[in-house]
Amino acid sequence: MLQRLKREWDRNAIVYIFLVPALIHFLIFQIFPFGFSFVLTFMDWKVIGTPEFVGLKHWAAFLNDKLAWKAIWNTVLFSIYYIVPTMAMGLILALIINSGVRFKKVFKGLFFLPVVTSFVIIAGLWGWLFSGTESGMVNYFLSFFGIDPQLFLSDSGQALMVLAGLSIFKVSGSTMIYYFAGLQSIPKQLYEAARIDGASKMRIFWTITFPLLKPIHFYVAIITTIGSFQIFDSTFLLTGGGPNYSTTTIVYYLYEQGFTSLNLSYAAVLSYVLFFIILTVSLIQRKYLGKESSIY
Amino acid sequence: MTYLLKKIVMYTALILLTFTFLMPFVIMIMGSFKEVQYAQVDPLFWIPDEISLNNYVHIFRDGIFMRWIFNSIVITIIPVASQMLLCAVLGYVFAKKQFPGREIIFWIFMAVIMIPQQLLIIPKYIMFADFGWINTYWSLIVPELWGIMGVFLVRQFLQNIPNDLEEAAYMDGANDIQIFFKVILPLSIPVVATVGTFSFISNWNDLFQPLIYMTKEEMFPVTVGLASLLGKEGNFGIEMAGSTISFLPTFLIFLFFQRYFTEGIQMSGLK
Repeated sequence: MLQRLKREWDRNAIVYIFLVPALIHFLIFQIFPFGFSFVLTFMDWKVIGTPEFVGLKHWAAFLNDKLAWKAIWNTVLFSIYYIVPTMAMGLILALIINSGVRFKKVFKGLFFLPVVTSFVIIAGLWGWLFSGTESGMVNYFLSFFGIDPQLFLSDSGQALMVLAGLSIFKVSGSTMIYYFAGLQSIPKQLYEAARIDGASKMRIFWTITFPLLKPIHFYVAIITTIGSFQIFDSTFLLTGGGPNYSTTTIVYYLYEQGFTSLNLSYAAVLSYVLFFIILTVSLIQRKYLGKESSIY
Repeated sequence: MTYLLKKIVMYTALILLTFTFLMPFVIMIMGSFKEVQYAQVDPLFWIPDEISLNNYVHIFRDGIFMRWIFNSIVITIIPVASQMLLCAVLGYVFAKKQFPGREIIFWIFMAVIMIPQQLLIIPKYIMFADFGWINTYWSLIVPELWGIMGVFLVRQFLQNIPNDLEEAAYMDGANDIQIFFKVILPLSIPVVATVGTFSFISNWNDLFQPLIYMTKEEMFPVTVGLASLLGKEGNFGIEMAGSTISFLPTFLIFLFFQRYFTEGIQMSGLK
């Protein structure tokens, strides 16, 4: 008996020594907060004083909160400005580094650089580039074309687009990597056959490359959608949700409710709304990606 | 002729893209060498006419800025080291070990990845307030000691490695811990480097969590510190110098480990 236990310990010591503490850590910092957050949505949890059960009060408040719905709408709008350009940009960059251009590695590194750079740094630069005064660099360039200075971040019609531009710049390098991997997995014989048949480059792109990248398009679409629903940093850094709430996104609103107004329970409701949206997107991914990824 | 035309179009596009991607970083570095009073007057101020080190001098004399950098180092180095070790061990456990509940635990891990971190921030804030972890390094270090994504990457990597090596070592009388350190870990260096680089970038650049757990200025990491400078009048040169300094470690890590970033992204996305 003892012998068997000893053998079992020798063979699986690592499981007990490392996995058990890791699981406890996992319960404390992932599982418990997840459940606690849900309980929180039914309570009035003041920072000081005892918590009080209030039932669906905060959920009902959410349904009637025009600003919350505006934040959701802003986030959807942000996704519209952001998803397709990020995918297109990633594909273009991948095609460039896959095209046998010289200094391929240098370009790959350059395009990826914003991905590893902090939002704070890029936002600092962006704020200056898109400064709404005549000394802003983008306005300076626009003046060459006879375009009047734009307000950019202080214009409620433009601010969200400028923020989407920042995210596109920041993220398209990682989209490029997915597309690059996808491009390399397309069998070379297909291209050779098409070339023998005399197909033009454009034709080859639209009939071979683009459709064969379908699983990649799908995957990238999902992760950029999930990313876009969690957008916070650029709004926090550049616009503070304004002007006129035009850049108040779900996570920014959650932050404001939770940590500026200290409505922790209401912020928990908003975080669950975010979770349900992301869960839906992920489930759609599960449903379709499983089938699509076995295309070649 | 059309060949030449295509080349011209191609290289024009390339130059434009290079310009777009490089320009912000050039502006940042040039801006950091500019005297404060000139910074915002001229839109093309990034073309240097006189290099001044005053912004850097200011930052290195300013105790709070050095403190921010120190804070960033603390909350980055410890999780990076710990993630590399723990994710390697746990990845190994899930790739090669048989134990009851292995599949279901891993399945739960994969499900939990879908939970947006913003959902956990409010309960974690309440918990940490109870623990007395607000404005301490604990709040940013302890939850980051290992990560599911890292475990997933190591597991993927080790599943492609034959079991023979391990079994041979086991036959020779090595125990689990010895096998891990002498056989598995040396083999896993590329994937462990990937886990480390990702962890470095995400901790060094994190804004959301320190913004919430750190309310005292002297506990800010450099991201939150820089954010507090952002857009304040007359700070542009200092902000750019601070950005350049905080960008430098990221840039060096990226320069040396570029391969691991791209491989990590591919591994996590395409199974």
